[in-house]
Amino acid sequence: MVRNNFATMAAIEIKNLIKSFGPVKAVDGVSFSVEAGSVTGYLGPNGAGKTTTLRCLLGLVTPDSGEALVNGERYVTLPRPVTEVGAVLEATSFHPGRTARNHLRILCTAAGLPDARADEALEQVGLGDAAGKRVLGFSLGMRQRLALASALLGRPRVYILDEPANGLDPAGIEWLRGFLRHLAHDEGAAVLVSSHVLSEVEQTVDNVVIIAKGRLVRQGSLAELTGGGTGSVRVRSAQAADLAPALEAAGGTVERADDGLLRVRGLDAEAIGQVALDRRIVLTEVTQERSDLQKVFLELTEGR
Amino acid sequence: MSLLAGLVKAELRKLFTTRLWWVMLVVALLFVGVGLGVLIAFAGVDQNGAAVPGLDTAQWTELAWASGSSAGIFVMILGVVLMTSEFRYQTITGTFLVTPRRGLVIIAKLVAGLIVGALFALAVLVLQAVTVIPAVMLGGGEFSLSGARVPQISIGILATLALYALFGIGLGALVRNQVAGVVAAIAWTYVIESIFTAIPALHVVGKWLPGGAAQALMSIDVNTGLGQPEWLPAWAGALVLVAWGLLFAGVATATTVRRDIT
Ligand SMILES: Nc1ncnc2c1ncn2[C@@H]1O[C@H](COP(=O)(O)OP(=O)(O)O)[C@@H](O)[C@H]1O
Ligand SMILES: [Mg+2]
Repeated sequence: MVRNNFATMAAIEIKNLIKSFGPVKAVDGVSFSVEAGSVTGYLGPNGAGKTTTLRCLLGLVTPDSGEALVNGERYVTLPRPVTEVGAVLEATSFHPGRTARNHLRILCTAAGLPDARADEALEQVGLGDAAGKRVLGFSLGMRQRLALASALLGRPRVYILDEPANGLDPAGIEWLRGFLRHLAHDEGAAVLVSSHVLSEVEQTVDNVVIIAKGRLVRQGSLAELTGGGTGSVRVRSAQAADLAPALEAAGGTVERADDGLLRVRGLDAEAIGQVALDRRIVLTEVTQERSDLQKVFLELTEGR
Repeated sequence: MSLLAGLVKAELRKLFTTRLWWVMLVVALLFVGVGLGVLIAFAGVDQNGAAVPGLDTAQWTELAWASGSSAGIFVMILGVVLMTSEFRYQTITGTFLVTPRRGLVIIAKLVAGLIVGALFALAVLVLQAVTVIPAVMLGGGEFSLSGARVPQISIGILATLALYALFGIGLGALVRNQVAGVVAAIAWTYVIESIFTAIPALHVVGKWLPGGAAQALMSIDVNTGLGQPEWLPAWAGALVLVAWGLLFAGVATATTVRRDIT
């Protein structure tokens, strides 16, 4: 990579991006950046403009205005894009009559990569056994893995993944989380991953960008958005005055609200219940409060 | 240049890693074979003035040797499918991710189309050789390469089939829908072209169409009862074919290079 000020440049940079489809403003002035070594979740309900943003970034859609840069350049001007950027797009599809291996080998041929990369990438995503099978018989989860394999072919340092968890079973999602963390944290790649389901990526991402109706709603590190980590628990009891010091003694941070209501941090519902039992205090309510991020996300997702 | 070579190879691999190409090849050979069978069966038969020359005539060899150009439709369909399956299965996204310079992708596809068309032409020529030559011999004639202008007709078939693949790619890029593209290819060759090239009175238009230009290139002017055809000179036929090729290549590029892929 012979590129100027590579060290100081964000891996992905989106500046004031605008794209309309006829009357629909799909992306309306979005700006954010993704640094190497981190996973950024690009979140928003269906139709928010995530896919359009990522397709602009990958040169598939031409924005009306604004910039979308990878390693400081427009994707279409990258000399060998697959060696810099690996992408998995929603609705990426495969010819059903072609085998997984042949699908990847075609991409290798076009990219000037050796055929051997096809089998290596299939092994990496756990599809080694299905290499010679036609895509026709693949489950949605296998197709997602195959799409991911195609992103790995050129050993890129930037990954752009649109809803990669769609169609994966819980074990597959768990595997994907680990894989993305490994790419970012062990290999130092920049990962941008979109989702309309917060819980799919919440445990994986370092940073979050939330959009709705084409506009940026929130962005920041996960810690910033969740108010410093775990959510609080609402506890109600007639004996709140006795309970509060007991909870503090057990290591919790207690915030006293109106009569009988406590907001407890640092203890989970089970620990709180145990304290109450030990002191023979009756609880009338124990509610896990959602983190700020979940609240924001739910507000955006609800009413739709 | 090696970049383009890689892209052409990738396009050929796309075609040869699915089954359609050999299905099309078998169908094309059957189609040409049946045509040859009819020509053999009706050689020398005179029906209400519509006459097929005898097996021992140079004219029959010309007619029979030119029958391979009828495989054009299958090559054209293959071209349509080469282009439209990218949209049908959305593999175009992956194709453009690897090669964001879309113009290069289109050029590679067109070159791959020309190569496949030429390969089909070679297969057809082999089929013709193994049927026409024995038929002429058995019919008491003498197979003469130059007498029946076999080399010129062969070049005509080669050029025609190669360019029909290219027409198919251009048509596919224009319509994008696979079924619509295949139907349009069939309607074009079987309805429009065959009307304008089969009826000599319509040759004023027909000779400018790809089919008529291909006939001109092969210089088949055997009167089979419908009247003497009036084709362009062979060199003009070649130019008209190339012009059609450039037109379709232009259409393929113009419709694909700027459009949003969503
Ligand atoms: N090709 C298109 N033509 C017209 N409207 C489109 C097109 N692609 C996306 N849209 C519209 O743009 C908006 C954003 O879509 P999209 O980027 O796919 O959202 P997301 O990926 O967040 O679900 C939606 O309202 C969608 O209907
Ligand atoms: Mg989407």
